[in-house]
Amino acid sequence: MINAYILITMQPGHSDKAIKEMRKIENVAKISVVAGEYDIVVRVQIKTLEKLLKVTDQIQMIEGVKKTTTQVIEKEIAL
Amino acid sequence: MRIRKKYLFYVLAFTSSIIAALISGIDAILNLYLRNPWVIGLSIFFMGVIISFIFTLFLSIPYKGRSLGARTIDPLFTRIRFIKKEEIKYHLLAGAGNALLTIGYFALLSIIIDPSIVLPFAQVAILYLVIIESISEKDTPTLVEVQSSVIVTFGAILGSISLSGNISLEAMAIVFLVINPGWVLLSIYQRKLKLMKINNKPNDAVNIRLWNVFFAFIFSAFFVVIYDYYHGTNNLAEGIFASFDYFGWVVLVAIGVFFSFVFYIRALGIGKASVTQAVKSSVIIFSIPVSLILSYYGIIAPLSTDPVLVLIKFIGIVLMLLGILSFALTLTKAYIFIKMRPGYSIEETMQKLWNIKGVNRVCAVAGEYDFIIKIRTRTLVKGYERILRKVETISGIKDYRWQSVLKEWEDI
Repeated sequence: MINAYILITMQPGHSDKAIKEMRKIENVAKISVVAGEYDIVVRVQIKTLEKLLKVTDQIQMIEGVKKTTTQVIEKEIAL
Repeated sequence: MRIRKKYLFYVLAFTSSIIAALISGIDAILNLYLRNPWVIGLSIFFMGVIISFIFTLFLSIPYKGRSLGARTIDPLFTRIRFIKKEEIKYHLLAGAGNALLTIGYFALLSIIIDPSIVLPFAQVAILYLVIIESISEKDTPTLVEVQSSVIVTFGAILGSISLSGNISLEAMAIVFLVINPGWVLLSIYQRKLKLMKINNKPNDAVNIRLWNVFFAFIFSAFFVVIYDYYHGTNNLAEGIFASFDYFGWVVLVAIGVFFSFVFYIRALGIGKASVTQAVKSSVIIFSIPVSLILSYYGIIAPLSTDPVLVLIKFIGIVLMLLGILSFALTLTKAYIFIKMRPGYSIEETMQKLWNIKGVNRVCAVAGEYDFIIKIRTRTLVKGYERILRKVETISGIKDYRWQSVLKEWEDI
């Protein structure tokens, strides 16, 4: 299983609608609305890198999404 | 379904409490037929093993690519399975904890007829958990958590206090030295099991419950055999026979306990053991309508209408609600995105980041950043003082970005 974070920068005024759309996407495990350089952080769980591309594509198609940065997790320690 | 994580924790803990309150009602009815506490307890444990096994088997049935269990009560559940080698130690300790608190409860009922004054002090288990977490856990409780835990504990004691019943030093010793440590063992090790990864996936609550009830029954039965031997009683056989003689009521209790624990274990996987236990103590509030119904039908003695007692209970419930609300409203989460300078070991830096208290997750990532860490703190000031300042001291870190989490949804 591949895990990745997609860091999203939004155009102002589109966040609520965009989050509703993101919640419908399969393989999205977590959506965090954040304050700082980015606006939304999405965690995805996918089986292949090809599917990651598909999810990124789906996110980029959402109205108001200005930029995405994908960070693939190589190693993780968690509680 | 995606739900806000904060809400999910409370939904799970409150659902567990509501079911537990309903079970207490059925338990009271069962008490009308079975007077011996050892027999009642063993019959419920014995039936609990059978019911948990049947339900886990049923929930393992696949339906449209996922198990029925994953579609209904726990998305992480795939199928019934044997415990893994790395789980055995924790299962033994959690099972011993469950058996210990149950045996303590039986012993309490054996020495005093009405334990209603003494039992509210079982809520002090919340404070035991706060102390244990302060010593052993990486994610130590903050001042707000300690304050809220104390408020909930005292609220729970006042909310469930009774002016009738007996009190003795022996009974108090059983509560403080047997029942409460039993709860602590059970909560801490069930949480450890829930946080474990099995086959690279987070552990599921259904299998944890199944094996916990199995080990708890084994330990309890072993203790009762010894007790029977020294007292010339036959509680073990009577308990097993009672589970068939009063099949309907015992099965209802066993089903209720199974679901109550599955939700409780899931909540343990999200929140700290002390916070989960504090929210779970809301069972006292949910038990009020159950007690009113039972007393209306004459199953239990009518509830006291003494204005002083009613006032004390009301103050207790308000304190509990305030404490729970305080837990809910004071949690701050954030991501920190970190860039490294070349020439520093990723593995070593990862470990240094992980050693900082309050860091819940460290991910080494490929892309614009080198690490994404997730933190949990009760206040932003603490987040800065206890976490960010320590991140800054790690050599090799070139730059970092703090991103406060405002809202969060998670797949359930």
